[in-house]
Amino acid sequence: MSLLEFARGPAIHAALIIMAAGIALRLIGVLVLTRGADLSRPRDAFGNFKGYRTVFSRAWPSGEFTTTTRYQTVVAYLFHIATLLVVLGIVPHIEFITSLTGLSWPALPNFLGVALGTLALASLLALIGRRLAKPAVYNSTLGDYVTWVIVALPLLTGLMAFAHVGPRYETMLALHILSSALLFAYMPFSKLMHAFWFIFSRAQSGLAYAHKGVRI
Amino acid sequence: MSIANATTTAPAAATAAATPIFPSFEQVYQGLAGQIGMLRQMAPKPTKTDEKRLQGAIDTLIEETNADEAVWLESCIHCGQCTNACHYFQATGEAKYAPMRKMDLYRRVYQLEISPMRWWHRLIMKPVKLQDFADASELIYDSCSECGRCTMVCPMGIDTASLVHHMRSAMVAAELVPPELAALRMEQKQMGTVFGSSPEALKKLVETIREQAGVEIPLDKDQAEVMVLSSAVDLVANGNGLLATAKIMNHLGIDWTLRSDGFESANFGLLSGDMSLWKQQADPIIAAAQKVGAKTLVIAECGHAYPALRWNPMVSGGELPFEMMYMSEFLGKQAKAGKLHLTPFEGKVTFHDPCKTGRRGGAFDEPRAVLAEMDADLVEMPANKEYNWCCGGGAGIFLLEDATRLRDESFKIKMREVNESGAESVVVSCASCRLNFESGRQKNHWDKKVHSLVELVADHLIDDPASLPSSNRQAAGEAQGARP
Ligand code: SF4
Ligand code: SF4
Repeated sequence: MSLLEFARGPAIHAALIIMAAGIALRLIGVLVLTRGADLSRPRDAFGNFKGYRTVFSRAWPSGEFTTTTRYQTVVAYLFHIATLLVVLGIVPHIEFITSLTGLSWPALPNFLGVALGTLALASLLALIGRRLAKPAVYNSTLGDYVTWVIVALPLLTGLMAFAHVGPRYETMLALHILSSALLFAYMPFSKLMHAFWFIFSRAQSGLAYAHKGVRI
Repeated sequence: MSIANATTTAPAAATAAATPIFPSFEQVYQGLAGQIGMLRQMAPKPTKTDEKRLQGAIDTLIEETNADEAVWLESCIHCGQCTNACHYFQATGEAKYAPMRKMDLYRRVYQLEISPMRWWHRLIMKPVKLQDFADASELIYDSCSECGRCTMVCPMGIDTASLVHHMRSAMVAAELVPPELAALRMEQKQMGTVFGSSPEALKKLVETIREQAGVEIPLDKDQAEVMVLSSAVDLVANGNGLLATAKIMNHLGIDWTLRSDGFESANFGLLSGDMSLWKQQADPIIAAAQKVGAKTLVIAECGHAYPALRWNPMVSGGELPFEMMYMSEFLGKQAKAGKLHLTPFEGKVTFHDPCKTGRRGGAFDEPRAVLAEMDADLVEMPANKEYNWCCGGGAGIFLLEDATRLRDESFKIKMREVNESGAESVVVSCASCRLNFESGRQKNHWDKKVHSLVELVADHLIDDPASLPSSNRQAAGEAQGARP
C-alpha cells in the first residue's frame, strides 16, 4: 500500500470515525448533565426567552469593545469563512464528500480556491502573530499552539500540493490527507469543539442574564 | 423641630450639618478601615487534614457542576477577548489577572473528574493538589469581583463570574477563604451578624435616631406592608443610612417595619462562597417577611444582598407572597408612580451601577428615575449600565488587605470614567461601592463628591410641596443641591 493509498483509505476513515464518536461522546456526555435550577422569580415572566438572542447577537462584539476586539474578530472571521469555503468548495474536496455521502454541488473556480486557501493561511498567521506578540492578553497554553499547528498543516500542505511545490505531487497529497486526518481525529480532544459549544454557551448566559432583565 | 424639617430650610440645614448625630461617611470609612485591619487576626485556622480539605474542594465542585458550568468550562478558546474587559487586568496589565485564567483550576478538576473525556485527561494531566487551590486564591478572591463584564465580550458568552463563584464554594471546603472573609463568615455563622452588630445594636440605633433626630422607626411591628432591611455597615458605623431610610419611609407614609429577627442584608455566605451560610442568613429574613405579611421586602443599599435575596437560586421567589426589591428599585418605583417629590439636585451627576444590581441584577432604570425626579443633570460614564466598570471593591474585595493594590489600581479606571463623564459628583447605591469610592477618593485626593442614593433622597425630600410657594421651593432646593 502506498502512502497515498494509506492516507486515502484507512487513515482518513479511522480519523472520521474517531471524530464522529469523539464529538458524540463529548457533546452528549456534557449535555446530559443535570441543569441547575434557578428558583428565583424572573424579572419579566416571559423575559427569559429573550436570552436566546445572545446566540446570534454575540456573533459580533458590542461597540463598547471595538478597539480591543477589532483585530481578533475581523481576522478570525476571515479565517473561518475562507476555510469553510475551501473545505466545501473545491473540486477534490467535493469529490471526497461525494465518495462518502453521495452528495455533490458545483465547485468554485480553481483560482478562487487558491486565493481563499491563501487567505485562510494568511489569517491564521496573523492570528498566531498577535497571540505571540501579546502574551498577557492571550495567556496561551500548549494546547493553543498544538491546535494552531494542527489546523495550519492541512492548509499548508493543500496549497503546496495544488501548486506542485515541495515533494512529488502524490507524496504532497498524501501528506495533505494525513494532516487532515490528524485534524479530524484531534478535534474532539481540543478547543476546536467550540464549533458546537458556542451555541449552548451563549444561550445559557443569555438566559441567565435575561432572567434578571439584563441583555448581554 | 425634627431633623426632617430642619433639612428643608436653608439656615436650619446649615445648623444641622454643624451638629450631626452620626459621623460623616469620611469618618465611617476611616473607622471601618481600622476594624477591617483587625479581622485578619480573628480568622479561624484550618481544622481538617490536607487530604480532607482537597477532597472537600473537589467534591464541592463535582456537586455544583451542572450542564451550564460544564459547557462554559468546555467552551473557552483562549481568544483573549475577555482580558481587556476585566478591570484587574486593565489596571495592571498582568497576564495572571486575565479572566480566562480564573477558571483554569476549575477546568482541571472538571476535566479530571467530570468530563466525558476524563479517561483521556487522566492520561495526560497531573492530579490536582491542595496547593493548587491555595495558589488560586488570588484569582478567585482578590482579582475577581464577579462583576460579569468579561461575559459581555466573550464570543462564547462564558459567565466567568459564575464559575468563580463555584470556585469560592470549593475554597470554603478547602478552608482557604482569605482571612478577612473567613473571620466574617465565622462571625455570621455563629452570631448571625457581622462587625459585632446585633439585634441589641439595632434597638440602640433605633432609639438614638428617635431621641436625637426625632425620627420614628417602627421596630418589630407584627404586621406591615413593607419590611425593610438594614446592614451591618449602617448599624455599627453609618447610622445615616438607616436614618435616611426611616425619613423616606415615614415621609411616604408607608406602613413599614424593621425586624430584629431579620434585618441584616449582608451575607458572608454569598461572599465567601458558603452556600449553607447563604441559606442560613436568607431564610430568617424570608420567614420574618412572611410573618409580618409584607407585600414588599426592601433590601438595603448593600450590593451583594440583592443577589443573596432577590436572585437567590435556592428560594422559590415566584411562590412568595411578597416582592423583593433593592432600595434603588423601591425608590425608583415610588418616583415613577409620582409619589416621591424631591427638590432639585444641582450640578452634573453620574450614576455608578453596582455590578450586583446592574449588570448582574438588572436594576438600571429605577435609580435613574430617582435622579430624574430631582431634575438632576444626569450624565453617563463612557461605559455605563451593562458595560459599567466595576469600582474594584465588589464581592468582598473591599475587605481584603492582599487586594489593596488591585483595588486601588482598578479604581483609577473608575475615576477616569467619572472624570470623562464631566460629572461633579457620583451617586452610588451600594455600601461596598461607596466605601471603595471613599477610599479611592481619599487616597487620590479626588475632587468629586460621592453620594449614596438613599441618603441623597432623604436630603431632598419636600416636606409638604403644597404649603411652599414655588419660589421657596426653589430656594429650599438650592440649599440642598450638592455643591463640591
Ligand atoms: S473571551 Fe471567552 S473564549 Fe475568549 S479567552 Fe476569554 S473566556 Fe475564553
Ligand atoms: S467577572 Fe469581572 S472581575 Fe471577574 S474576571 Fe470577569 S471582568 Fe474580571
